[in-house]
Formats: sequence, structure tokens, C-alpha cells
Amino acid sequence: MITSSSTGDHDTEIPKSPLPSYSRIESLDVIRGVAVLGALFVSIWIFGGFSNQQQNQLLVISKGWNYRVYGAMELLLDGKMRALIAIVFGAAMIIFLNQTSKATVFAGELFIRRQMWLILFGLINAFVFLWTHDLLFHLGIMGILLFPFVRMSYRGLFIAAILTTLIYCGKNFWNYADKKDRYQKFLSVTALEKKYEKDSIALGAKGTVKAKDTLTKLEKQDKQAWEGTLANMKVDVKKDEGNIKAMHNLSYGKTWNHLLEKAQSREAQWTYQFGIWDLASMIFLGMALYKTRFFHNRFSSSKYFIIAIVCIAAGLLLGWFRLHYLQVSLHDFTKYIKGNAVPHDIFFPIERALLALGYACLLIFFLSVNFLSGIWTAFSSAGKLALSNYLLQSLICTIFFYGYGMGYYARLSQFQLYIVAAEVILVQLVLSVIWLKYYKRGPAEWLLHKLYYGHDAIPDNHTPGNANPPVTVIS
Amino acid sequence: MDNSLEPSMQPVETPVNAGPVQAADRIKTIDIIRGVGLLGILLMNIPGFGIDPSVYDSMRRGLHNTTDFYTLKVVSIFFEGTMRGLFSMLFGAGMILFTMNKKEMPGAVPVVYLYYRRLLWLLFFGVINAYVLLWWGDILFFYALCGMLLYTFRNSSPKLLLFLGILCLSIASLKTSLWHNETRESRHNYLEAVAAEKAGKKLTSEQKEAKASWLERENWRPQPERIEQNVTQMRSGYIAVFNHLLPRNADDETWGTYHWAIWDCLGMMLIGMALFRWGFFSNNLTTKDYTMGLLVGYGIGIPVGWLIFTRGQLGMANIAQYVDTYRVNHFVLYDVKRVFLSLGHASLIMLIFRSRIVPWLMKALASVGQMAFTNYLMQSIICTLYFHGYGLGNYNKLSYHQLYYVVLAVWIFQLIFSPVWLHYYRFGPFEWLWRSLTYWKKQPMKK
Repeated sequence: MITSSSTGDHDTEIPKSPLPSYSRIESLDVIRGVAVLGALFVSIWIFGGFSNQQQNQLLVISKGWNYRVYGAMELLLDGKMRALIAIVFGAAMIIFLNQTSKATVFAGELFIRRQMWLILFGLINAFVFLWTHDLLFHLGIMGILLFPFVRMSYRGLFIAAILTTLIYCGKNFWNYADKKDRYQKFLSVTALEKKYEKDSIALGAKGTVKAKDTLTKLEKQDKQAWEGTLANMKVDVKKDEGNIKAMHNLSYGKTWNHLLEKAQSREAQWTYQFGIWDLASMIFLGMALYKTRFFHNRFSSSKYFIIAIVCIAAGLLLGWFRLHYLQVSLHDFTKYIKGNAVPHDIFFPIERALLALGYACLLIFFLSVNFLSGIWTAFSSAGKLALSNYLLQSLICTIFFYGYGMGYYARLSQFQLYIVAAEVILVQLVLSVIWLKYYKRGPAEWLLHKLYYGHDAIPDNHTPGNANPPVTVIS
Repeated sequence: MDNSLEPSMQPVETPVNAGPVQAADRIKTIDIIRGVGLLGILLMNIPGFGIDPSVYDSMRRGLHNTTDFYTLKVVSIFFEGTMRGLFSMLFGAGMILFTMNKKEMPGAVPVVYLYYRRLLWLLFFGVINAYVLLWWGDILFFYALCGMLLYTFRNSSPKLLLFLGILCLSIASLKTSLWHNETRESRHNYLEAVAAEKAGKKLTSEQKEAKASWLERENWRPQPERIEQNVTQMRSGYIAVFNHLLPRNADDETWGTYHWAIWDCLGMMLIGMALFRWGFFSNNLTTKDYTMGLLVGYGIGIPVGWLIFTRGQLGMANIAQYVDTYRVNHFVLYDVKRVFLSLGHASLIMLIFRSRIVPWLMKALASVGQMAFTNYLMQSIICTLYFHGYGLGNYNKLSYHQLYYVVLAVWIFQLIFSPVWLHYYRFGPFEWLWRSLTYWKKQPMKK
């Protein structure tokens, strides 16, 4: 899996011409800015209490503007912005490890240190700012896990991206297969129950002793397991009441207690089950794309445009099917599980990969033809301050929505939430542009840099984004 | 904790930096301790391989003069957690050794990449051990993840390492403590509800719930149906065992990592790195120091272990009484016991090595330790094939103490197999595979 350098087979991935001399790759900053800010339109659901139950209810009703807008957001953004963040993260890994070239030996060490501090930032974001769906923790871990892969050839990386995407699909499938299994067990237990009923009636008529007619504990548990699954699937906005009440609590401590389990489950359960594949596939893709010089205008503008249109169209088609089957399964899950071999979300990993790739192409196309360039400059600034902006979003939104702050949780409509998100994004765009006029780095970026550089005597001018990367050192 | 460690540590600092230790000697003592840890780990793992866990409940509640019970007592007091402790310590030391032994060469793969590749493969082997060899108690997965956090500490001072190690273990103790507090709160709510009931008040739904949840806890016993199901499944074919263990494996690798391994294993690894830096494992201290380590280690470790077993483990059979009596759970001392007892074991081994009374055993143990990775996986292979249904199907057929005959057999086999193998080959078979994968190049095998 990992190509060795001792056999010298790395030259294939080295760009033949020197990289463009501008210090940062503009397209990456723009994509990062768009992804981090765009993600807020989806995160705002969780920050603001637009719950799964409400979302599913809209899908069940399936008409009205509320439904259409939610559907559009779900199709266009949900999961896709995270994918874009991961793609850029993958590309940035290679840049980081290449550009600290003067101290190659140190590059790896610095990278690992940075990742460990990033994990800590993530923990703070999750357990101090109380943003349960923090992503920094996961990016920190994934960076360390995938670190050795930066030396792989782009072909290997593409294969890795495809494999992990397929495993992700498989995970969704197995998750569904478990439920199906539960249903089968339920069926056999209820059949048994009916038989016992019949038997005891028959025996009762004869007046003889009772036959074995009660379910064992395990059989009862099997029956309850499926009933529990069904109850979980049932759309009912009343289920949210307890959570809303808890989120309106004025005390920070109580909110902390209430959110602890959610945050831990996101960090442990979600990571192990889906997160690894969700992020690894896109990080691999980002590394591979970087090595093919995708972010350096490798293709002509029109080619980027065509790829963008094809990817987005294909992604939307898959997404449309996903939502359709989700609607079907929400109407009657038992019927769905009887009639369908695969879950509604089996192709979600491919859907969001296509859309993320399409968006990246579209942005590069816009940049190359100078379309809306003023806006992209602002997004590029936001992208340079991605970490600060990301943490600032947590701060603003938790204080605005949570009970210990202004307590708007579950008090705004879906549309109002988008307005809040748009306001936050606007503020961040403006702030980012202004900040970069005066400072080189964002506050969180500065702190992180300070922390991982420590007191090591490496001159500051070898920070990522400064040198013309001699890629050969790594590849 | 810190203070009591100091006496055995202080005189150490000078001799260590006196120069590189004789390579042969150093590797030998480290391998011997690793070998002991590797063999010892089976003491704790064997019940997991071969018997339904309800056996613990019946031993605790049953007669306390049976062979089973005495076995449990000895294993719990003297060994529980300590062999994993030794193994973790040596793993931490090994991480330093790995980076130390390699020089950065221009054009070659930087050491940091080798380090992380190696651990990534270890992670993979851990997954194989759990999901293919079907050993649900696999530890390689955790080791690989913890190891990935150690790299940046490889040059840290022993004091910092010791501090961080103790910090990790303290967090583990804190978690135990928080868990105990929850139990106490549940008991408290129950008692309040009962008192209210006696006073003739109508219970609120919350109080009813509190009462029910405590009673469920207090009256929890292993369900006979569950035991039967577990035993049947474990004695079935490969697919059935795989499916049966799947949720447990996934749960362990998820929550075990998050709540347990990161503190338990990482803490010991850091302490192991500190001890290594002080020269403890490389036979660099004076005999007096090791004697001190032995006395302090056993002097504190054994009484604490005894306390945890007799008061804690047995006391918790009657959870209501236990919770009413103790504000703090005995298991907060678990890691204190582990650190000291591991230190005692390691010192004992060093002293035996120095006294040269059983050179043949030391040689065999060094071979076992040199092939630790192979031997660890081999324990999984032998034990799963002996106990699981697709092998000989002896699951839950032996009594608790009889399991230790199996341990003895495996020990003897590994003590003979390892030196013989190493007589002909340079590495153990799995070490060779691991190495080849890490360097992505077939490594020489024959001597």
C-alpha cells in the first residue's frame, strides 16, 4: 500500500514544471473559505435546534417552501461542505510537509505536533464551547492516521480514495442490514407467539395441561429490539421536547452535562463507524488531486467547467434518489425494509464526493475566468483564517442559541436560521478581509503555530505558504 | 505516589548518561521483561478466551475455599493489570528505541514516516486480531493508536514523561471515581424514594424510575439464557462466532479506546519511557536500586492489590452495602497498584537476571520477548482454536482454575518454540512480516 522510496518510484508524481510562484495556492484558500463558511448553513440546524424530527416531518409532508428549501440545502450542502474541508485538508497536508523543506527531518515532527494541538483545539471546541459536532478533533486524528500516505503516488491515493468511499458505502449498507436482521428476528418471534396462542387455545379446549407458551427472555428482547428501531424511525416532533427544555436551561454546567454524551458519541462512535471513512476518503482525494496539480489550473477553464457540470449533475441525481427513498422509508419503514435490499443512503458517499469535486471545479473555473473575483478574494481571506473562523462560528452560535447565552434554540424558523447563518458569514467575510490587512495570520492560526513551533529554532519564514516548494524532498 | 517513587529513582540519573549501554546486554534485559509481560498477559486473557464471564459472579458469591477462588485471588492480587502494565511500559520504551536506532539519511525515508507506517500496520494487525482471529480482547489496536501520540515525546525528559504518565493514570482513576459517584447518586435517589413511600407519599414518576433503576442494578445477575446463548454461539462455526463477537469488538475499539485505553495504556507507556530513560530496563541501575524497586514495588503494590480484591472486588458483590459504606471506590487505587506491582515484577526480573541463577530460563524468556509480536498473535491463534467451536470447541468446558493448565501449556510451548525459531531465523515470522510491510520491502529472514 505504501510505496517505498528506496526503489525510487516516486518521480511519477512530481510536477515536472516548478509550481507557480505565488505564495499560497489561491484556489485552495477560496475553496476552504467557501467550505468552512458554507458549512454553517447546515451546522445552523444543529446549533439552532432545527431537529431531525422536524426535517423528517418536512420530508413526510413533502410540500411547501419549507420543504423545498430544506430539501435543497440537504441536497446541495449537507455533508458536501465537510467533504470539501477534508479535500482541502488533504492537499494542505502535502503542502505543509513539502514546504518546511529546509528542515525535512523536522517537517514530520512539526506536522504531528500541529495535529496533536489540533486535537486539543477540537476538544476545547467540543467540551468548552460546547459545539457537539466539532470537526477539528477528527481532522487532528485523521491527519496523524493518514500521515504516512502523503508519500504515496497519486494513483495509489486515488485507489485509496475509491476504496475508502466503497467501504463507507458498505458501512451504510451493513447498518441497514443489521436493522433488516432485527426485523427477521422479530418476524420469527411473532410467528412463535401466534403458534403458542393457537396451541394454548387448542389445549385449553381439550382441558389438558398447558404447553410451553411463553417467550423466553431472549426472544422477548429480540422482539423489543425491532419495536425500538421502529419507534426510533417514527417521526414525531414531540420527541424533541426534553432536549429543547434542556437546551433552554440557563446554567452552563447543566448544558454541559446535557451535551456531554452527544459530544463524546460524536468523537467516539461516529468516528469509528463512519467518520474515518467519511474523512479519509476525501483526504485521500485531496492529496491525489494536489499531486495531479488539480489545484494549479492543470486543466483548461472549459474543462474545469465541464467536469463541474457533470459531477454536480450526477451528484444531484444520486442525492435526489436518496431523498426520495428516505421519504419512502419514513412513510412506512417496515414496508421499506421488506421491499428494499439497500438503504436510501447507500450511495451518499459517492454523491457528496461528486458534488464536492464539482464545487471545487466550479470555483477553480470561476477563478480562472475572473468571474466575481471580488467575492472570491473575500472568501480567500476567510479561507486563510479558516481555523479562527471555524472557532468563531462555534462561539457566536452557541452564545446566540444556547440557554446560557441568548437562548434562541428552537425558537427560530428554518428561514430565520439561514438568515442568522448568512449574517454570521457576512460578518466573517468582512472581518477576515480587515484582519488580514493588519496581520499575517488569524488569531487561532497564530496560537496554533506558536504552540507547535514551540521554541525550536526554525526561522519563521519557512512557514507553510512562504517558500517555493521543492517537492522532490518528499515525493 | 510521586514521592514514594522518588527514592528508587534519584540515584539513577547519573549512571544513565554515562555512555551507550552495551548493546547486547541492553536488548537482553528489555527482551526478558517483555517476554515475561507477554507470557503473563495470558494469565489475564485466558478467561476471556475460554470461559463465560458469569464465572466471576459465581466465584464472588460462592464459597471462598475452592481452588477456583484461590486461583482468582492470586491472579487478581499479584497479576491483574501488571502484565499489561509491563507490556505497555516496554512498548513505550520500544518506541524510543525504534527512533534512536535509526539515523536520518539523505534520500532515505525519514524516520518519522517509518515510525507511523509501522504503527499503521500495527493498527491493521490489531483489527485482524480482533475481527479475523476473533480475539475480542485484542490490545494491538489500542497500542497502535496510543503509540501515535508518543512520537513527539521521544526526547522529553524522564520527569516530564513520568508526570504525563501519572496524569493519564490519574484521569483513569478520576473516571472510576465519577462512575462510583453516579452509583452513589442512584442509591441515594432510591433511598429517598423508599423513604417517601414509607411516609405514605405518592411517588413522582422520577422517583419511581429512580427506584426501579437502582433495584435493577442491585439485583443484576447473569441471565442463564444469555450464558447459554453465549456458550452455544462460541461453540459454533466461524461465521457464527464472528457475528457473535462483532458488536463486542466494535464496541471495544470504539469506547474502549475513548474511555479506557487512552489513559490506561498511554499512561503506562509514558511511565515506561521515563523508566527507560533512567536506564531501568537496560540493566543500568545498581543492584541496590533494583532491590529498592522490588521492596517498594511489592511493599506498596501487594497490600493495595489485596485491598482492592478483598474489599473492592468482593465487596461489590453486595453493591448496596458497598455503596453505603464507601464514599470512594477501591478501584481508584487500581493504577497505583499496577504501577508499583509492575515496578516490583520488573525489579525482581532484573535481580534474577543479575544473580544468573537460571540463565537458560532467561535466555528462553529473551527469545519470547524478542518475538513478542509473533507470540502475542500466536496466543490468539492457539487459544481461539482451542476454545472456539470451529476449532476444538472447549469454550466453557474447563473450570476457572483448569484454564491455567492451558496457560502453562502455551507458556511451555512458547518458551521452547521461540529460542528454536530464533536459532534458525533472524526474526519471528510475524515480526518479519511487520518489518517487511513497514519498509515495503522483503526483509532477510534466515540467519
